[in-house]
Amino acid sequence: MTINGWFPLALSGSIPPGIPAGAIVKGTEIVVWRDQAGEAHAWEDRCPHRGMKMSFGVVRGDHIACLYHGWQYGPDGQCRKIPAHPDLDVPRSICVKTYGAAEAGGMIWAGLGAPGDAPVLPEATGVRSLYVDVPLNTALAALPSAFDAGGMTARGPVVTLDTRWGTLRIGLQEIGEAQCALHVTAAGNPGAEARAGIARAATRLRDSVESGTDTGVAA
Amino acid sequence: MSGAVLYNYDLDIDCYTVRMIAGCLGIALDLRQVDLYPGHKHLSPKMRALSPQGRLPVLVEDALVLTQPLAIILHLAETRCPDHPLLPQDAITGARMLDWMTFAAREMGVAAEARATAMLDAPGDLAALKDRAKRAFRLLDDHLTLQGFDGLGFVAGPEVTLADLMLFAPFALSRDFGLDHDAFPALRLWARRVRATPGFSTMPGIPDER
Repeated sequence: MTINGWFPLALSGSIPPGIPAGAIVKGTEIVVWRDQAGEAHAWEDRCPHRGMKMSFGVVRGDHIACLYHGWQYGPDGQCRKIPAHPDLDVPRSICVKTYGAAEAGGMIWAGLGAPGDAPVLPEATGVRSLYVDVPLNTALAALPSAFDAGGMTARGPVVTLDTRWGTLRIGLQEIGEAQCALHVTAAGNPGAEARAGIARAATRLRDSVESGTDTGVAA
Repeated sequence: MSGAVLYNYDLDIDCYTVRMIAGCLGIALDLRQVDLYPGHKHLSPKMRALSPQGRLPVLVEDALVLTQPLAIILHLAETRCPDHPLLPQDAITGARMLDWMTFAAREMGVAAEARATAMLDAPGDLAALKDRAKRAFRLLDDHLTLQGFDGLGFVAGPEVTLADLMLFAPFALSRDFGLDHDAFPALRLWARRVRATPGFSTMPGIPDER
């Protein structure tokens, strides 16, 4: 299946240089990582050598190394070094499939297929990413009451909620048919208490939709 | 005080945790290797005499025999280096540390069981254990997310304690039983901080990121 478009994978603050992470969009496995210069990358999560997940690997400086045999890939996806053959001039054909990568609205995005223009969103503060074992539509339907929102508007994979904590923008990541992630961000720079309130509401949403109970905000 | 003998299997989570924490505390242990897999020597009559439930690690110090990681870790810290920064000096932080050490032993212990079932031929329902481990990881991820809003990087407060070190390995090694780290962003960041503890050491399966 070919997917086209831009999809949020993580909050910007969840991916510091040095720690790669796996993310799945509609079954497509992606590794997201940040190089030492701060630039985010989204690649197919598979080393061409033995198929090991690159998200299990290690980021050093401007390259990422596979956990299995240490093959090193630069920011363009090209294999630069094979430790077992240190003198080898690595063929250009050895490379990881790369996707578009962008940062907008406090989130890191991957551009899959023919994605079109990268997303443009106002700056925001990342609060937390929530992983929920229900279909995305089930989580989406529960969002307004979970955050006690006055209204909800959707634009692509982002919904905007007006809440007591101000404007929340939530990036929607459909992992599979029964799993999704919600990347919750807040406009401006909310304080610790507000961020904790938002995070707790998100946690209640997860626990209630997974158990199939009412999602109303506790008093 | 005579030396402490640790009956050890290098690839076991609990054995690693005790070795790694002893290293952070600067305590030398006299290691005795036990062939847990494939030899199942932890179930031999000699080891059963020390640990009737057939667990590793076992700490032996004169007449004292300890078979639970939490007890081993606290005993070593409190008798050898009670003023070590990994052991909080105020009672409230100490209580929080003990709370999370108990969580590590109980809820996170499921992850060690799941891994032993997946890798070391231990009996158990892998799918059920994996689901329970995931729920434990979520509780820890929820907690560390909230700690982060208050500028607290570790489970008991702003500084790393024995509790963080005890919680580390079950998370770091969870891919061994098929549980990825994708869904636990706060744990990924915390694990990186835990690795920076002076004296920290790795084991097979935990890449050395330095």
